[in-house]
Amino acid sequence: MQLVIYMVFFTSFAWLVIALKSHRRLVATTLAGILVLTLIGVPQPAQAQIGIVKAIEAVLNVINGPIQTALSAINTARTAMNNFEQLAVWPQQLINQTRAQVIQMIGQYRNRMSNILETKLNSASLPAPQALEAIIRDHQAGNYPALTAMFTNNYGAIPAVTAASAADRAMSDVDDALALDNLKTLKAVDHATDIELHSADAIENASGQAAPGSAPFLTAAAITSAIHVQALTQKLLAAELRQEAARMAHRNRLRKENAANTTELRGVLVNLLQHQ
Amino acid sequence: MKRLTALVKAAGNWICGHRFRAAILVVVLVFTAPWPARAIGFDPCCALLVAGLSSIQSALTKVIGGGLNQILSVDRAMQQFQLTVVWPQNLINQAKSVVSVLQANFSQIQNLMKIPVNSATLPVSQELEQVLLSRDPSHIAQTSRVYTALYGPVPQAAAASAQVLNIVDMTDAAAQAAMKRAIEIDALADLELQAANQLNQSIQTAAPGTAPIIEAQADAWLIRANAYTQSATADLMRLRSIDLANASADIKMGANNTTSLRQALANLLQHQ
Repeated sequence: MQLVIYMVFFTSFAWLVIALKSHRRLVATTLAGILVLTLIGVPQPAQAQIGIVKAIEAVLNVINGPIQTALSAINTARTAMNNFEQLAVWPQQLINQTRAQVIQMIGQYRNRMSNILETKLNSASLPAPQALEAIIRDHQAGNYPALTAMFTNNYGAIPAVTAASAADRAMSDVDDALALDNLKTLKAVDHATDIELHSADAIENASGQAAPGSAPFLTAAAITSAIHVQALTQKLLAAELRQEAARMAHRNRLRKENAANTTELRGVLVNLLQHQ
Repeated sequence: MKRLTALVKAAGNWICGHRFRAAILVVVLVFTAPWPARAIGFDPCCALLVAGLSSIQSALTKVIGGGLNQILSVDRAMQQFQLTVVWPQNLINQAKSVVSVLQANFSQIQNLMKIPVNSATLPVSQELEQVLLSRDPSHIAQTSRVYTALYGPVPQAAAASAQVLNIVDMTDAAAQAAMKRAIEIDALADLELQAANQLNQSIQTAAPGTAPIIEAQADAWLIRANAYTQSATADLMRLRSIDLANASADIKMGANNTTSLRQALANLLQHQ
């Protein structure tokens, strides 16, 4: 734009220089032309330079403004999160304190409780009951035949075929069988209880060294152990149900026999009275 | 072209004729023309760029670099804390090794519970015992048959009083129900042991973040197991309640029989 204006004025000036005849006018026109063309031709301030400065200032403002503020905010938040984790969620001091408490409780209770459970309960005084008592409390599952032998030794064998009715022999056999079944089951469960106690000890030992991140493994394992314990408790309850049911069935069988005997006696008495 | 040549020729003639005026035009043009602003040797535009870029570099280094370094140091502290205090790999491995020890214990318990305990010697009692220890719910349907084979049926209507028949029937029913429930509970306990083993195996391959999911499932199984235990306990209590009621009924029937006997004896003495 500046160049176009300059060209127009310079062309006019050149025309005047060519056209003027008088030297005085020529001198005046030349001076005026120099003045006007100098004003028009003065270099304009560089727009590009102003743009670069402004752009650099803008970039610096962004860096020192929003970016610095955002970084400071992120740093503050991360520091707060770090402090929260280290001081509130997982404070090292409390983690150590908890581990120490676990170890202290192991020392306080484990042997004491183990000694209570291991107290000998045997009370029989004669050889046969002593042997039976020992075998039913030995926590072993591999000597069932010996248990059966000692049980028979104490409680006798099923009557011979000629010694009792078939019904009585069957009743006696099933009563003995269910009693023996349960004694065997109890021996197995006693052994299983020992294993469960070892599992509990192992979990407790590990929890004394655990970290917050490893504890969920132990918790989950402890819960699965608790499911095992419940399952074995159910097996004991099932055995108890069988035993109680057999006891009631036995009494009921006697009740049925009494009814039959009473009916038979009534018939005998009626016959006797009729004959008199 | 000819016109241009003529024009140049005319201009040349004019310049030759008016050298002073031509010199004025040349001098004025040279000194007043708006030449592009170019620096000779040192360009102010480049200097500005250099200064600006230097400022940006300084700001990037101090503000962004410094800020990021602070964040990095906090993140490193967090990472270090989490790796050494919260989730230390060695303690996680140690906990997993405890879980594998428990797995061996579970297998041992399962094997113990699989050892047969059958003890009956006569065919009828063996058959009942086999059903009772079957741990198989499909055998529940056979319970009544093998029970009746051993303990006998309810007497005929003429064989006893209605009260006695009711008591006998109710007692048989309670005993059979308890036996059936025992088979169910055994089967359920076996499935619980199986599920507990599965859960324990999955703990061994779990990550610290997934272990609580298994823990939640195991908790659900534990609740279920407790419910089954309650159910079995309830059946045991039912059985004992019927047993207690039977004992009471025996006293009541004894009292009635005694009264009847006294009355019969009184009648007999009056007739004599």
